[in-house]
Amino acid sequence: MASDNIYKVLKATVEEVIDESPLIKTFVLTPESPFKFSTGEFIELTLNGFGEAPFTPSSSPLISDKLEITIMKTGYVTEKFHMLKPGEVLGIRGPFGRGYPVEKFYGKEVLILGGGCGLAPIRSLLYALEAVRDNLKRVVLCYGSKSPADCIYKPLFNRLNKIEKFETYRTVDKYEPGWDESVGVVTTLLDRVNMDIENSVAIVCGPPIMMKFGTIRLLEMGYKDAQIYLSMEKNMSCGAGKCGHCMMGEFFVCKDGPVFTYEEVKHTPDLWK
Amino acid sequence: MNNLFKINRDEWFRLIQALSVSSYNIYAPVRKNGGIDYTIINDENKDEIVYNEAKPATPLKMFFLPVKLNVTEPEKVLRKTIIIGAPACDVEGLKLLDLIYIDEKFSDETYLSRRENTIIISTDCYVTQEHCHCTTYGINPYPENGCDISLSTEKDDHYLMTWSEKGDLFIKELGSSAQIEALENNKIESISARREKTINELSYKNSNLPGTEKTKEKINKSGQEIWKKYSSKCVSCGACSAICPTCSCFLLIDKPGFQKIKQQDTCQYPAFERVAGGEDPLKELSKRFKNRYMCKYVWKPERFNAIACTGCGRCIEACIAKISKNELIMELA
Amino acid sequence: MVLEINELKKVSFFDNYSDDHLKIISKISTIKEFSVKEILFEQYDKLSDLYILLEGTLSLGISLPKEKRIHLSNIQPGQMFSWSAGFEPCISTAWVKATSPTKVMAIDAKKLQSEFKKDCEFGFITISKIARTISNRLSDTRFQLMNQLTL
Repeated sequence: MASDNIYKVLKATVEEVIDESPLIKTFVLTPESPFKFSTGEFIELTLNGFGEAPFTPSSSPLISDKLEITIMKTGYVTEKFHMLKPGEVLGIRGPFGRGYPVEKFYGKEVLILGGGCGLAPIRSLLYALEAVRDNLKRVVLCYGSKSPADCIYKPLFNRLNKIEKFETYRTVDKYEPGWDESVGVVTTLLDRVNMDIENSVAIVCGPPIMMKFGTIRLLEMGYKDAQIYLSMEKNMSCGAGKCGHCMMGEFFVCKDGPVFTYEEVKHTPDLWK
Repeated sequence: MNNLFKINRDEWFRLIQALSVSSYNIYAPVRKNGGIDYTIINDENKDEIVYNEAKPATPLKMFFLPVKLNVTEPEKVLRKTIIIGAPACDVEGLKLLDLIYIDEKFSDETYLSRRENTIIISTDCYVTQEHCHCTTYGINPYPENGCDISLSTEKDDHYLMTWSEKGDLFIKELGSSAQIEALENNKIESISARREKTINELSYKNSNLPGTEKTKEKINKSGQEIWKKYSSKCVSCGACSAICPTCSCFLLIDKPGFQKIKQQDTCQYPAFERVAGGEDPLKELSKRFKNRYMCKYVWKPERFNAIACTGCGRCIEACIAKISKNELIMELA
Repeated sequence: MVLEINELKKVSFFDNYSDDHLKIISKISTIKEFSVKEILFEQYDKLSDLYILLEGTLSLGISLPKEKRIHLSNIQPGQMFSWSAGFEPCISTAWVKATSPTKVMAIDAKKLQSEFKKDCEFGFITISKIARTISNRLSDTRFQLMNQLTL
């Protein structure tokens, strides 16, 4: 925990800013003291005196002296984050939430459907899965971005393809010359992966549209509601299940999630908003 | 626990005076602003305290969840607090707030500290208000568990019953400096009779109002029209949330030096659920209006297995457009 | 070249077919190979075969005036394409081009239809699978469209 007081920050310095795509940057942070989190848990990142936003770390949960946060420029607060330079100090609260239950994937094939900036929490999950790959049957990553320029973490794919039991497939919505991998939305990749559906889990993470279409396709393929893991995004403020901003039906997304199985949340209204 | 004590009224006044000077901030209801509300008690106003009458305009939550609070550092508690006159409806509402704010993993330290340093002396309601309907939701108009001590007046005496260890300790502490008589039995006939009378009065007044389960079912299954109808006069002022004993949503605001200010907020204000991309699921007024009812009658009860509407009726009195939740619920039923 | 029944069973499109059905399909189909950049068919071409991609990658798209090709999506191994061959007027809705050495199975559409007349269940299963392919294609296209229209 950053601190005993859930509203008090742990300071972290920006070490490096990496440009991943025109709208996405990764910030490498050094927290004042070691910071531990489980994959899928999130932090609230404060820009001093300005604002705070929730992010799921994209770095390995095995490393506690550095933290990587990948941020997409979508609004007021994230725009300010994008102007950060190395040396500036941010505040961290957390970790909050319920992360990915990695032990439940043991003995199974893990199918991961990622879209756009949704690859950020997934990268953290992949590090965690890599560490326990002896307990897994197979890990398949299907990633879709809008265009080749929007594809983030390009070095990651090369690295993963060299690891035993890991496979990656990439696709873009819009073709650009020079791209020699698939074209089409990420659901089109599902036809070629041949998962052992009964003994696998599916993890979906990305923009709401992608999560909706992805879940529908997975259900059609034969995945049961309880086999599909979603990472829900909502407007958050406190991060600890108190302020009420992130409520989705009866759930506090920040406390009961953000990782949910489709079975848990399929009845809630406005699920894909 | 559940020990009954009797104290003479003059003795009680003496006690209050001594406590207010020494180590406690004492709040109790007095008549003001055309109604009843809490004020800080001292020697001058101690005989203005109104006992056993529903109910202070301010809900109990305000003592633990103030409108605005800097939560970056723990609060310094200089004096403990005694609240006299908390009605049973508010005490019941506090149970839900405890479930939200105090939990194993992430407790709100300020809330916890204020709860620990406050003694709640709840009182039964011999006189009710126009919109009181606690009995509809299974709450009795007299204190049961949830408070530290309950107080009932009978002519010149106050009867105090302890409901928690904190209450027991407090009475013990008082006993050393005042004349408090411990009673053998724990029931006083005349008080029980008064309670019966209040219950009957409330049941009669609210006989058409559906109970917890039916209300939940009807609201959950409702269509859009009724919400459009009842929200047509709503201006999203948020008075209903502000005055509600169980509404507790807030916004965390950033100030320089990584300071965080917790400020009262409500789903009734636009942009409560707005996300970074700009979409706002509750942009439409009738949707926001319905959201509060769904939260209070369906979602919070499901999530916490607790009552989220205590039937105090303050929202009906506070609404500037005179929208009555009871009218709406009865129309649904 | 013809595919053996056991090989056919590995192709996901042929799930739930009985061995007899697979024998029929094997009899009325051939294996074709294409090299990189070879065009399998153009938009508006008349089609006579239903294709299943066995190996390699194909890109699919539409043409605009002045012969500008728009690459919309890829076809993955195991997927069926050229479904228009099964329905009059059998005109292709898109062009398909090989982007790597590919191997496809071509099923004679007319012969398939006459088999359906003999065995309605076979027809029903096949048409259902084709319908599922078209439905998925439509859903993916809508998804692709929504991605372009929103952030």
